[in-house]
Amino acid sequence: MCSPEEEALLQLEEVFSVTLDHINNLVLQPLLKAAAEPSDPWGRECLSLLQQLHRSSRRLWEVTKESLHSLQERLHHPDSFGLEALLLLHSADHILQIHIEYIESYTSCVVVNVFQKAAKRRSEYWRAQRKMLQQFLSGMSSAGSVGTVLVQALHQPLAHHVQQYVFFLLSLADTIGEHHPSRELVVHAAELFGNLQSFMSQELDQAMATQALRHTLSSRVGDVLCTPSRRLLQDSQDIPVTVTPLRSERVLLFDDSLVLLQGHSVHTFDLKLVWVEPGQDGCMFHLLTPEEKFFFCSKDPQGRVVWQWKVTQAVCQALRGKKDFPLLGAGLKPSETPSCRCGAYTFLSEGRFCQATYEGEWYWGKPHGKGTLKWPDGRNHVGEFCQGLEHGFGIRLVPQASEDKFDCYKCHWREGSMCGYGICENGTSEVYKGYFQEGLRHGFGVLESTPQAPQSCRYTGHWEKGQRSGYGIAEDSDRGERYIGMWQADQRHGPGIIVTQAGVCFQGTFQADKMVGPGILLSEDDSLYEGTFTRDLTLLGKGKVTFPNGFTLEGSFGSGAGGGLHTQGVLDTAGLPPDPGSTRKRQLGLGAFPVESRWQGICGPFQDFVRAGCPGDLQEALLGFHVQSSKELRKSQEYLCCERTHPEDHTGRMEDILEELLQHREPEALQQCLRKALTNSLHPLGKLLRTLMLTFQATYTGIGANKHLQGLAQEEVKQHAQEIWAAYRGLLQVALQRKGQALEEAEDAETRDLQVHGLVLPLVLPSFYSELFTLYLLLHEREDSLYSQGIISLSLFPDTKLLEFLDVQKHLWPLKDLTLTTNQRYSLVRDKCFLSATECLQKMITTVDPREKLEVLERTYGEIEATVSRVLGQEYKLPMDDLLPLLIYVVSRARIQHLGAEIHLIRDMMDPIHTGGLYDFLLTALESCYEHIQKEDMRLDRLPRRWDLREPW
Amino acid sequence: MMAIRELKVCLLGDTGVGKSSIVCRFVQDHFDHNISPTIGASFMTKTVPCGNELHKFLIWDTAGQERFHSLAPMYYRGSAAAVIVYDITKQDSFHTLKKWVKELKEHGPENIVMAIAGNKCDLSDIREVPLKDAKEYAESIGAVVVETSAKNAINIEELFQGISRQIPPLDPHENGKNGTIHVTQSHLQGGRRCC
Repeated sequence: MCSPEEEALLQLEEVFSVTLDHINNLVLQPLLKAAAEPSDPWGRECLSLLQQLHRSSRRLWEVTKESLHSLQERLHHPDSFGLEALLLLHSADHILQIHIEYIESYTSCVVVNVFQKAAKRRSEYWRAQRKMLQQFLSGMSSAGSVGTVLVQALHQPLAHHVQQYVFFLLSLADTIGEHHPSRELVVHAAELFGNLQSFMSQELDQAMATQALRHTLSSRVGDVLCTPSRRLLQDSQDIPVTVTPLRSERVLLFDDSLVLLQGHSVHTFDLKLVWVEPGQDGCMFHLLTPEEKFFFCSKDPQGRVVWQWKVTQAVCQALRGKKDFPLLGAGLKPSETPSCRCGAYTFLSEGRFCQATYEGEWYWGKPHGKGTLKWPDGRNHVGEFCQGLEHGFGIRLVPQASEDKFDCYKCHWREGSMCGYGICENGTSEVYKGYFQEGLRHGFGVLESTPQAPQSCRYTGHWEKGQRSGYGIAEDSDRGERYIGMWQADQRHGPGIIVTQAGVCFQGTFQADKMVGPGILLSEDDSLYEGTFTRDLTLLGKGKVTFPNGFTLEGSFGSGAGGGLHTQGVLDTAGLPPDPGSTRKRQLGLGAFPVESRWQGICGPFQDFVRAGCPGDLQEALLGFHVQSSKELRKSQEYLCCERTHPEDHTGRMEDILEELLQHREPEALQQCLRKALTNSLHPLGKLLRTLMLTFQATYTGIGANKHLQGLAQEEVKQHAQEIWAAYRGLLQVALQRKGQALEEAEDAETRDLQVHGLVLPLVLPSFYSELFTLYLLLHEREDSLYSQGIISLSLFPDTKLLEFLDVQKHLWPLKDLTLTTNQRYSLVRDKCFLSATECLQKMITTVDPREKLEVLERTYGEIEATVSRVLGQEYKLPMDDLLPLLIYVVSRARIQHLGAEIHLIRDMMDPIHTGGLYDFLLTALESCYEHIQKEDMRLDRLPRRWDLREPW
Repeated sequence: MMAIRELKVCLLGDTGVGKSSIVCRFVQDHFDHNISPTIGASFMTKTVPCGNELHKFLIWDTAGQERFHSLAPMYYRGSAAAVIVYDITKQDSFHTLKKWVKELKEHGPENIVMAIAGNKCDLSDIREVPLKDAKEYAESIGAVVVETSAKNAINIEELFQGISRQIPPLDPHENGKNGTIHVTQSHLQGGRRCC
């Protein structure tokens, strides 16, 4: 059963659809035809506005037809279609939306006087149509111009229709009673259309005000300000307001912007980037925009309240991006404009950001949060901002003058300049990875040419204000040279060493990039020159050459006529062979580069990090990115991007890290914990170790694998162990502080040394071992080769002959242990005696830990003693007279390669507390065996004739 | 608590004169059995009080065979004291002793305390080296001298007490390990050119 209201609605829709149809045919179509003059931009705009209106009108017509259809269906089959089947009820929001669209298209036309202008164009025609138009103006006078009539004709029927909707819906709601299932729908629809009425009238008022505004402005300003989509919300001519410190005659608040007029100048502020600081009382409130701050002062408090409310609501509406419905300020009731927003802005005032466009997050008028800054010259910054400046991680691209190359800075920023760790690529030619301060390279950093670059070079070291300064390693692979030493103002300056590919070393003092004054040259054949040099490192002036055989040549040197070396001096052939220490094993750089401060640029930021309490967000800025090698740089970019999205992970991780340190403080657990930390490249300690490894490799591999650098290297490794320990203590202290505890004991030097040598050194040594061991190999190459000759020669001896040869007392020979077949003559048995001791000693090379190596040595001794005790059938304490020959026997049978390098590395890395003690004794005993095996009678004593194997047996 | 001062002592002397027997006697004849690790009779330690200090002797044996003489510098480098042993029944061993003294004077650590032990004094009836000779010699080089018998435990304690007395007292400004600090950490053979 249909109610009369439904029938009335049906009629209403019928009439309205017909009306719309008529409007379309009789008004819109002719208007469109008349407006068509696309040559003129203004004409084009009119046309597009009218087309928009036409489209909206069509949709309105379509939806009316649909609504009509649903009403008809229900009329004919009231039983199968319930009330809720009516489009008007179940899709009220949709219908409303279409109405709103129409109203917006319509008011846009009104704002720019489209109808009046179009009417003027064909005034004859429209005058003739005046009567026809009258039909759309139900009961209203048709006074006024044709234009005005047109304006009315396109609005009146809709206003009437909506009004009728509301009327019939309300009475329908009354009719169906409280408990009807569809009542809520009906009430909702009635409410919506009621609101639509308010909305329409507000829209119309705003449109009219905006249209009227145009007449009060000069045509130039009017054209700029009065665009079709813009509505005037408040005018200072209605409620006076003055602006300080900016000057303005008139203030206009539009729905998208705030405009200050002063003479011909128009100052427009995008509302999305206007912050209102409410005035508590009085006549003033404060406005903030990206580049301006100003006060609005009204004559009276009421004026202030109106303006403040309007601006606030307008800002909020602009930020929501759609009109408040039904009225401005409806719905949400924010008393203040939001502090944080997203928006885009192009800076105008002079300064770094001039003409740059920022797009991203804002906070009270300043870029704050994530954003992108683009300059017109192609510079581009993506990253974090704080208080209007780059702050935090950011990637900046700076185009290079030529081609389409960019400098790319991926680094941390502080208050607008690069500060902390960064990776910066200059075009495709070089990459800097290191620390910055105030936008310049400062602290530790590696500058490396890329494989594509024409020249290949690398600097690993310290920087100051953009220049190389302090300790640094520079490699020039084209010249095959590496400089290790001090720098100042981008030049080599102070003590330095040059090592060449050919193995020649120079040491001296540099000034302004050149070596000056006396220096030394160590050539690869172990001759030594002491004297002065030219700037390109050839001998010049007084000097002395010491040849490896002990001859010396003292005199003055210079360039010969033919380009060779020319010398005049005295050759002394009487000299004794020089002490190997003076040339062959001479160590360069000792004392010249204090090891404690050699790599302070790496440990410094770590200390800063600890001092700051290990803030997770500074971890990367201070400790560097998690990037291991340049090969991974590409990958690292991806990493940086995705890593950025979870910065909070960092803080969480830092807490876990500190917690873990707290829970593992007992010696055993501490060792495990440190081992884990040092192998983890994301752990602060692991990062520190990796950076130290990087410098170690930069110094001592390749060209730097030179025996004269062994001294520098070994003290550096020990220092690194100390630094890692200090870093651990720092972290531990922070971890305790976070728990409100203090580090209980101030560590004395003795405990520290104990921990450094006993705990940390064995853990860090593997990271440096291969480079370090290479240096020991080179340094002891000659002795090791004599030793191997000795070993080879001794290996030809059968066991018993060797025991005899080494003067091992007969009663100690472990022949009881051997089961000899009848065919065997014991004199030919090999590698059977003291086998357990030999095998034990061979285990020495399976570890890099000096302490473990010494323990192997101790066990080897134990095996010897056990064997001897078994042979003698009683416990026997071996005196050195007996032990040394046996040990020589075991060492010669163990055939450990490069034993000299091993021994010296163990000695250098051994904990000094063992000096004079058991381990020192064992190592000395091993060393004495090593020395003994090198002796001539060991090396050259091939099998004597009486032990000739060819002897028949 | 008394400061423990580690003193490295090396034993020099011909093979068979009883170097290790003296040490074994010194170390074993004592209630101090809180087992410190040893390397047979080649490396032993023993702590004795001396004034207000404790002297911990780290005693390094050396091989006495002639062929190993050249290795000795590795053992005596960094020693605070050297005990040079001869056999009173063997004139030759006293000769060797003199050679050792000469070598230590030339190449040994500065200020090394030398102690001469004439061992096997239980066999004084077949003595070849008169006590007087030894005493005169020791006086000429400023060394401690005693005749000992490892077998009968004669003068063993006295020998080491003599060494303790000769060790200069600790300089209060230097830290504890004066006696055992290696004069040089260099890897050069023997460390003869210590600074």
